[in-house]
Amino acid sequence: MTKPVTIGLLNLRRVFRDRTNIFFVILLPLLMVFTTGLMFGQDSSRLGVTGAAEGPLAERLVASLEGTEHATVERVGSEEALRDLVERGAVDAGLIVPEGYDERVREGDAEVSVLSRPDDWGALNLTTWVRSMVSQEATLLGAARFAEAESGGDFDTRLDDAENADIPGIEVAAVTTGESVFPEDVSQYALAAPPILLLFTFLTSLTTAIGIVQTRQSGIARRMYSTPTGVGTIVFGEALGRFVITLTQALLILFGSALLFGVVWGDLVATAAVLTAFCLVGSGAAMLLGSVFKTEGSAVSAALGIGLAAAAAGGTMVPLDAFSGVVRAAAYVTPHAWGYEAFSEIVRHGGGIIDVLPQIAVLLGYAAVLFGLGAWRLQKVITR
Amino acid sequence: MPFLEVEGISKSYGSTKVVDNVSFSIAEGETYGLLGPNGAGKTTTISIIVGILQRDSGSIRINGKEHSVTDKASKAHIGFVPQQLAVYPDLSAVDNLRFFARLYGLSRADARRRSEEVLEVIGLSDRAGETVSAFSGGMARRLNIGIGLLNRPGLLILDEPTVGVDPQSRNAIFENVKKQTGEGVAVLYTTHYMEEAERLCDRVGVIDGGQIKAEGTQRELVSAVGEDDTIVLRMDGGRESAIRTLEALPETKQVSGEGSEITMLVADARAVLPQVLDSLTQTGTVLRSVEVREPDLEAVFLHLTGKALRD
Ligand SMILES: Nc1ncnc2c1ncn2[C@@H]1O[C@H](COP(=O)(O)OP(=O)(O)OP(=O)(O)O)[C@@H](O)[C@H]1O
Ligand SMILES: [Mg+2]
Repeated sequence: MTKPVTIGLLNLRRVFRDRTNIFFVILLPLLMVFTTGLMFGQDSSRLGVTGAAEGPLAERLVASLEGTEHATVERVGSEEALRDLVERGAVDAGLIVPEGYDERVREGDAEVSVLSRPDDWGALNLTTWVRSMVSQEATLLGAARFAEAESGGDFDTRLDDAENADIPGIEVAAVTTGESVFPEDVSQYALAAPPILLLFTFLTSLTTAIGIVQTRQSGIARRMYSTPTGVGTIVFGEALGRFVITLTQALLILFGSALLFGVVWGDLVATAAVLTAFCLVGSGAAMLLGSVFKTEGSAVSAALGIGLAAAAAGGTMVPLDAFSGVVRAAAYVTPHAWGYEAFSEIVRHGGGIIDVLPQIAVLLGYAAVLFGLGAWRLQKVITR
Repeated sequence: MPFLEVEGISKSYGSTKVVDNVSFSIAEGETYGLLGPNGAGKTTTISIIVGILQRDSGSIRINGKEHSVTDKASKAHIGFVPQQLAVYPDLSAVDNLRFFARLYGLSRADARRRSEEVLEVIGLSDRAGETVSAFSGGMARRLNIGIGLLNRPGLLILDEPTVGVDPQSRNAIFENVKKQTGEGVAVLYTTHYMEEAERLCDRVGVIDGGQIKAEGTQRELVSAVGEDDTIVLRMDGGRESAIRTLEALPETKQVSGEGSEITMLVADARAVLPQVLDSLTQTGTVLRSVEVREPDLEAVFLHLTGKALRD
């Protein structure tokens, strides 16, 4: 048993002896967690607003936006200046309160518009929130107008009444359908970390196939076989090496994100189990790649190609939650989608090991097949 | 009893027989050279003996015991230096040594100690912690050999260990090998350099097309081929009488003179030389120099295979 461990640890050592690997394996993923976290981030969103000076009602609306932690509100002098800020990305979205807003509200046909750049994820979140804030305001204004029409009196007094009445059921959440996909009590980093963990862990594990190709091509594998070491031991050692490298990286991202960004990974047993299963899939795939490809170059290309394609298809780049139909069904061909689903359950919804058993089972199935093929193929090329 | 006995091993890839009924044996402390051109089957033969390649037929005994690819006990006796630089380029010399020492079953402490010893032997003690990729070709070759010494092998197998090595490193490698044989290690050495085989090997097997064409000491091979030795004598005057004297010797095959130089052909120059010198002294000839030219393995190889050793 000591020999496979010796071989496995040597592999780990080789990876972390290389400084550039430390960057790609640890720092880059954590950096990605950070930047993606910012993208998911709420308090960092900037909303530009024009027309606050149109009247007390306009001021009311803008103040209500300013009154939350959701976004930093920046008052802008003109519509033109606002457009410019949005286009330059200086603010994530812009709200235009039109000329004569107050009068129109009193007449009952006010309209505000929201500006954002196309395909901007951060803006999408922000505009959704702005819409909900505006519709809350609209509900209040609507109620005030209704009261004014029914019982007479002054609009402003009625508005105060409406506000104090605390009319139920009009608050619109930023994300409204069913169980919230991104619950509000989960930090933005906790949303960002699992997909990045999956992406990088799998990618790194695939690139460890290069080590196997090197070992074979340089004659080291056969030299190992010339010592009193069985081919099974060598194959097991190499497999262990792949797994240890992969797991080490996964744990570094896990603890790194927890310590640096306060990501709460949820149930320990469930997280550990999903992580282990996913790392097994990655290292199994690496074994297969490493025993199939003859040159380092082709192994690198395959590792990057497969690693990135699977990560994208599996919903770790654009969130899986945004997929639908055939694309979503196809995503479940990748281990990433199963990992994503499992982590969503654990991290966002406080799921335990029982909740993620199906995903773990699927991942272990993948791992068994890949390891089986890889080990069989590797022992064949060593003893050939 | 020889330490290594190889009997009729063969190996085919598809329909080509790469190793064809090869037999030889090596005693303790003996160096046996497999001399052959590129593609002769040296590496294939060695891989079978080391136990990393399955043979089609034949038998191998190491220290009297039957050996196969799965035989760990026999593998423990073998030190293997492959033709390729089979070391981790991104690790240090000492890390490479310790790793392989562990694979030979040494404990962590023993692996550490033995690695230090080997570093001393291969002259890399002061570069032990350096990454191998920063080594010169010769240093990397020495490390490659060092790994083969870790388990104190009874049989050391070296596959063209001096390829791409400077003369200084080459000498160091020869010294290492000689030191091993001095300690009773049986050495199997492949090369396509005739000089190496001549300098290092007690016996040589000439291999071509997967077959051992001839085997023996250099002398035996040369005489089996029937090439004559040449003795070149230079003197001060009196050439005619000297030629007559030499022609009278029974071993002489041919004598010819040119200027102050006499060239004679004999079967075995070393055996005849004392007699030659005696008879010349008696006739009062003053010799200025004597040179013996023995036919080399190059000539043997050419004779046996009809082709030159190097392409
Ligand atoms: N795996 C293989 N499949 C097919 N043919 C092979 C294989 N390995 C070796 N050969 C062939 O067997 C022959 C002998 O090869 P081998 O490597 O044993 O020669 P060698 O004497 O070591 O040559 P060199 O001096 O170049 O190292 C060559 O013709 C080679 O092409
Ligand atoms: Mg060879």
